[in-house]
Amino acid sequence: MKNKIKIERARHSLTQQDLAEKIGVSRQTINAMESNKYVPSTVLALKIAKLFQLTVEELFLLDEND
Amino acid sequence: MKSSLLLPSRYKWIGGIVLIPSLILGILVRFKDFSFAFLTVPEGQARVRSTSLNFDEQINLTDELALTGMIVGLLFIAFAREKQEDEFIGKLRLQSLQWAVLVNYVLLLVATWLVHGFGYIDVMMYNMLTILVFFIIRFHVILFKNRSTAAE
Repeated sequence: MKNKIKIERARHSLTQQDLAEKIGVSRQTINAMESNKYVPSTVLALKIAKLFQLTVEELFLLDEND
Repeated sequence: MKSSLLLPSRYKWIGGIVLIPSLILGILVRFKDFSFAFLTVPEGQARVRSTSLNFDEQINLTDELALTGMIVGLLFIAFAREKQEDEFIGKLRLQSLQWAVLVNYVLLLVATWLVHGFGYIDVMMYNMLTILVFFIIRFHVILFKNRSTAAE
């Protein structure tokens, strides 16, 4: 699964730490999601999408391996 | 995402404080035959009975004390919440536990074929604790690696 978290984070001028604090997770979690090492839970995906005012489908995309 | 089985993060330190003296006591008991005189209980008294491996009339509870301290200390460290425990940390925790269980049993299998006789009792004794030790080391190494790659 791919995601646009890094792009959206840059668009909103947030650091990994800022985003982590806003959605209540650790900075490692943001980093792991951005480097596609971790697929977040539905709850976390919805929280991030809500923060960026996007739908989950706009932020997270299936790739050929899924 | 709440993991109900975790202790507050300060238990990592409490666990260390319990573990270190217990570990020292355990090493003294195992290699120097150390024992506290006041922990000697005549057989038949209390509810402790010597096993077939212990032919002494009296039994001493120093080793019980050391093992209890080591297990409790390791459990506290292993089950202490990270300061920022979230679903990703939880996943790393479970992966580390899976790895520790696997490594522990692979080593036990190897030792089963290589160590015989009374030496095998030592293997089993260490094996009681190594699963927690492997988990704690693995989990913290992975956390450390993730922390350093997360540094922007």
